[in-house]
Amino acid sequence: MTGLTLLFDVLIPGLKIAAVILYPMTMVIVMIWMERRVVAFIQGRLGPNRVGFQGILQPVADAMKLFFKEDIIPRQADRFLFNLAPVLVMVSSLLAFCFIPLGESFEIKGYAIELWIAQSPVGLLLVLGLSSIGVFGIIFGGWASNSKYPLMGALRSVVQVLSYEIPLGMTALTVVFFSRSMDLVAIVNNQKDAKVWFGFLLPASFLVFWISGIAETNRAPFDLPEAESELVAGYHTEYSGMKFAFFYIAEYAHMVLVSSLVVILFFGGWLPPFPNVKALAFLHGLPGFAWYLIKIMFFLYLYIWIRGTLPRYRFDVLIKLVWKWLIPLAVLNFVIVALAWYLL
Amino acid sequence: MKSIQEIFQKVFLLDILQGLLVTLKHYFSPKVTIQYPEKVKEPAARFRGILRLFRDERGEPLCIACKACQRICPTKCFEIEGARPEGGKILRPTRFDWKLDRCSFCGLCTEVCPTFAIRFSREFRMSLLAKEPLLFHLENMYIEGDALQDRLCGGCLE
Repeated sequence: MTGLTLLFDVLIPGLKIAAVILYPMTMVIVMIWMERRVVAFIQGRLGPNRVGFQGILQPVADAMKLFFKEDIIPRQADRFLFNLAPVLVMVSSLLAFCFIPLGESFEIKGYAIELWIAQSPVGLLLVLGLSSIGVFGIIFGGWASNSKYPLMGALRSVVQVLSYEIPLGMTALTVVFFSRSMDLVAIVNNQKDAKVWFGFLLPASFLVFWISGIAETNRAPFDLPEAESELVAGYHTEYSGMKFAFFYIAEYAHMVLVSSLVVILFFGGWLPPFPNVKALAFLHGLPGFAWYLIKIMFFLYLYIWIRGTLPRYRFDVLIKLVWKWLIPLAVLNFVIVALAWYLL
Repeated sequence: MKSIQEIFQKVFLLDILQGLLVTLKHYFSPKVTIQYPEKVKEPAARFRGILRLFRDERGEPLCIACKACQRICPTKCFEIEGARPEGGKILRPTRFDWKLDRCSFCGLCTEVCPTFAIRFSREFRMSLLAKEPLLFHLENMYIEGDALQDRLCGGCLE
């Protein structure tokens, strides 16, 4: 029995730790490839299709190139903060994946295997907190570069991320209202018991959360911190080689994280769709992880689709949108949900 | 005063959905990219590619080694030597060297040629890794086969 115990107590956690790093990395590779191909298709081009099957290995080739590039630190830069910034960005977005449940827990020989590393009663709060630590990396990176474009990019990013965090938290709270828990696993299980995904109960919450989520990850049409036409590349202008790759990967990992959050909070995580329809019972045949993947791929695709569609906002419009529309809407939504919860 | 339609459009993000539909339509549109090494775009009718020597309908070479092109060439691309073959009346080139790396594709040689022997082809794929193949000798100045005749510059055929 000792061999089996050893397997379950040492090997499985080890594998899970490896998976929590490898899973976002794989998703980042798929995401970078998908982004380049889909945007190219929307623009009537083909995009990268030479390296590997349909160009799927293009991000790997790019990473190899970046790995061997010269690592440049500007002479006037603050070396400590300059080196710390990419690590902070990367760690914050990878760490949050510990709390993301990827699928149902299942049992092998009486030993429960959970597809998440940590289950915390305040999981949602932790994920939101960890993902906003990333903004420190952006501030440090922009400040330590000692160059005007990164600084301006960092300033924009801080204003944007801090403003959009408010509607993000407000709308996440409405979900907590329904599930009576901040535990991400419990939120999904609640949706299972309720037989309806919270996204259909709270469409306004979902919409505000998704818009804020796009702004949180500095994606188009809210990609002002790295507006190419104005700021070269924003906060990571002075970075090169692997440090630049860290910023790049962290941004995509953050996108995967926000998509996962949307899926878990509003679209039932690993639950299969149509739980009540008898004719569609065969949908339960797919494992939970597959449903989770299908759902987050849809939202990742939506990210790219929106990027290929909408032009960038002007900065004052961006701030106006959040303070005059999204925050009042989120507060109103919160009050209505709270009233509905207590009156009904 | 905002109309109900406008408010409806704002609340349900209809204009954004409309935009997403437009990009979705373009997603499935035919792509304009030509994948180069597999598919080659035909150059324009009067494209000035590499210079070639030309033969007449009976397969006789047209060049009479008059060296008019050598004289007029501003970048001194040509080195031509001619000799009268045994029993023949017309001078023929025994050596015809053309240096691609010096050529500026000005076209003066094609204009000055009395027999229209030297003409532009529409062949544009001439990037190389070594310098030696940039020197063309007499034997590789002739267009061989009918396939390459289609690749002649349209302006020179007039």
